[in-house]
Amino acid sequence: MASNLANNYKDKTLGATLDKQTLNKMVWRSLFLQMSFNFERMQAGGWLYGILPGLEKIHTNKDDLALSMQHNLEFFNTHPFLVTFVMGIVLSLEQSKADVNTIRAVRVAAMGPLGGIGDAIFWLTLVPITAGIAANLSMSGNYFGPILFLLIFNGVQFAIRWFLMHWSYKLGSSAIGVLTQNAKEFTHAASLLGIFVVGALISNMGGTTIAFVIPNGDAPIVLQSVLDGIFPKLIPLAITLTMYYLIAKKNFSVVMCIMCLLVFGLIGAFPFIGLF
Amino acid sequence: MEFSIIQVLLVGLVGFIAGIDQFSFLESLYRPIVLGPIVGAILGDAQMGLQIGASYELIMVGSMPIGGAQPPNAVLGGIMAVVFAISLDSADFEAALALAVPFGLLGQQAVNIWFTVAAPVMSKMDALAAKADVKGIERLNWVMCFGIGVLFAVIAMIGTYAGAAMGVALSTSVPAWVWTGLGAGGGMMKFVGFAVLMKVMISGEFWTILLAGFASATIIDAAFQKGNYTLVIIAILGGAIAFYDYQLNTKIKAVGGNGNKGDSSDGI
Repeated sequence: MASNLANNYKDKTLGATLDKQTLNKMVWRSLFLQMSFNFERMQAGGWLYGILPGLEKIHTNKDDLALSMQHNLEFFNTHPFLVTFVMGIVLSLEQSKADVNTIRAVRVAAMGPLGGIGDAIFWLTLVPITAGIAANLSMSGNYFGPILFLLIFNGVQFAIRWFLMHWSYKLGSSAIGVLTQNAKEFTHAASLLGIFVVGALISNMGGTTIAFVIPNGDAPIVLQSVLDGIFPKLIPLAITLTMYYLIAKKNFSVVMCIMCLLVFGLIGAFPFIGLF
Repeated sequence: MEFSIIQVLLVGLVGFIAGIDQFSFLESLYRPIVLGPIVGAILGDAQMGLQIGASYELIMVGSMPIGGAQPPNAVLGGIMAVVFAISLDSADFEAALALAVPFGLLGQQAVNIWFTVAAPVMSKMDALAAKADVKGIERLNWVMCFGIGVLFAVIAMIGTYAGAAMGVALSTSVPAWVWTGLGAGGGMMKFVGFAVLMKVMISGEFWTILLAGFASATIIDAAFQKGNYTLVIIAILGGAIAFYDYQLNTKIKAVGGNGNKGDSSDGI
C-alpha cells in the first residue's frame, strides 16, 4: 500500500495558511483519535479524520489530496491527549509541500516519544491525583467528587490540546526538536513525580487492616493496634510490594493477582482464622 | 430487586456513551467515579452509586491503558459494581466490587475482539482515500465509533438484567464470612493497581522516591486526620522534586552533551 505511493505532491505552491478557526476545529476532532481503533493500524483512521479539515484547505489539487490521505492512513499511534502536537507539525509540513517521505519520518518521530510523556502526565499523575481527591469526596457522600474530577481532568486536557495545536503548527518542524531534545529528562522527572504519588497512594488509600486478636486472658492483644504503634500502614505496603514482586518478577498477570487476593481474602475471613 | 425495562434501557444508554468515551471524546466520562452516581440514580440509589463508583475508581487507578495494553474494563466493571451493590442492598459494598470483576474481564475481551474485528475496515478506508473521498472516510470512522458503543450498550443491558437476578440469588444463599472475605479481597485489589504502576515506572533509583512518597503521605494523613489535602500537598512536594530533577538533568546534558558516548551525538 505505502510502497507504491508517489513521493512528491504535484502542486508545489505553498498551501493556504490554516486560520484559527480551522485549527480549533481540528482540536475538537482530535478528541476522536481512537474512534476507529484497531490492532492493525491503531489510530490511523481517527488520525486522518482529525487532520482532514486542514488537508482539504492545503491540497486543492485532488490527486495531491488523495496522496496525502493515503499516506496519513498508515500505522499511527501516539498519546491521545498530546496528538495535536503531531497534528500541528504534520500540517505545517503538508502546507510547505514537503515530500511524503519527510512528512512520514517526522510523523513517526513525533508520535513515538509522546506516548511515554502522555502516560506520565495523564495516566500516572493527573488521574491518580484528581481521582484520589475526588474519590475521597465521593466516599463521604459528596456529589461534587465526580464533578471536580471532570472539571480538573478536562480543563487540563483541553488546555494541552489547544495549546499544542497552535504552538506546534507555528513552530513547524523545528518544534519536534524542542520537545524531543529534552524528552528523556522530562519523562524522567514526570516518572519521578508519578512514583512519589504512587508511594503516597499506598499509604493514603491503603485501608486494609486486620482483625486478628491474640487471646491473652483479660487483656487480649489486638494485632492491628500493635502494628499502628510500630509501623502504621505496614500491611498496605507489604501487600503492594508482594503484588509488585509477583507481577514484575514472577510474571503474574493482573487477573491472577486479583484472583490470589480474592482467595486470600476468603481464606482469611474463614471462621476460626478471623484475619479480616 | 428487579429492574424495570426502562431502567435497563437507560443503563444501556450509559453503556453506549461510556463505551465510546473510553477511547474517544472526553475520555473521562467513562470513569467509574462518574458512572457510579449516574447508574445509581437510574437504579434508584444515587448515593450508593456515588460511593461504590469511587471505590471502583480506586481499583482502576492503576489499570490505565498504558502503552496500549488493555486493562480490565472500567466501563462494564463500574456499571456492574453499582448494579450488584444496589441489588444486594448491602452495607458491605466492597463485596459488590469483587462480583463486578468478571464483568471487567468480559469487557476487556469484548474490546480485544472488537479491535481485531475492526482491522479489515482499514483496507476499505484505503480505497476511499485513494479516491479522496473525504465524506466517505468521515462516515466510516463514525460507523466504527458507534459500533463499539452499541457493543457496550448490549453487554451492559444483558449484565444489568442477568446480574440483578444473580445478585438476589447470591445474597440469600451465601454465608456471611464469604461476604467478609470478598470484601477484604475487593479492598486489596487497589494494591494490584499500584503494583502495575510500579512495574511500568520504577527503576532502581526510584525505590527511595516511592518510600519517600509513602512516608510523606503517612505523616500528612496523621497530621490532618485523613483530610482531602494529603494528595495536594503530595503533588506540591513531588512536583518540587521533579522540577529540580528536570533542571539538573537538562543542565548535566548541556554540559556533557558532546561526545560523552563517543558517537556523533548532536551538541546543544
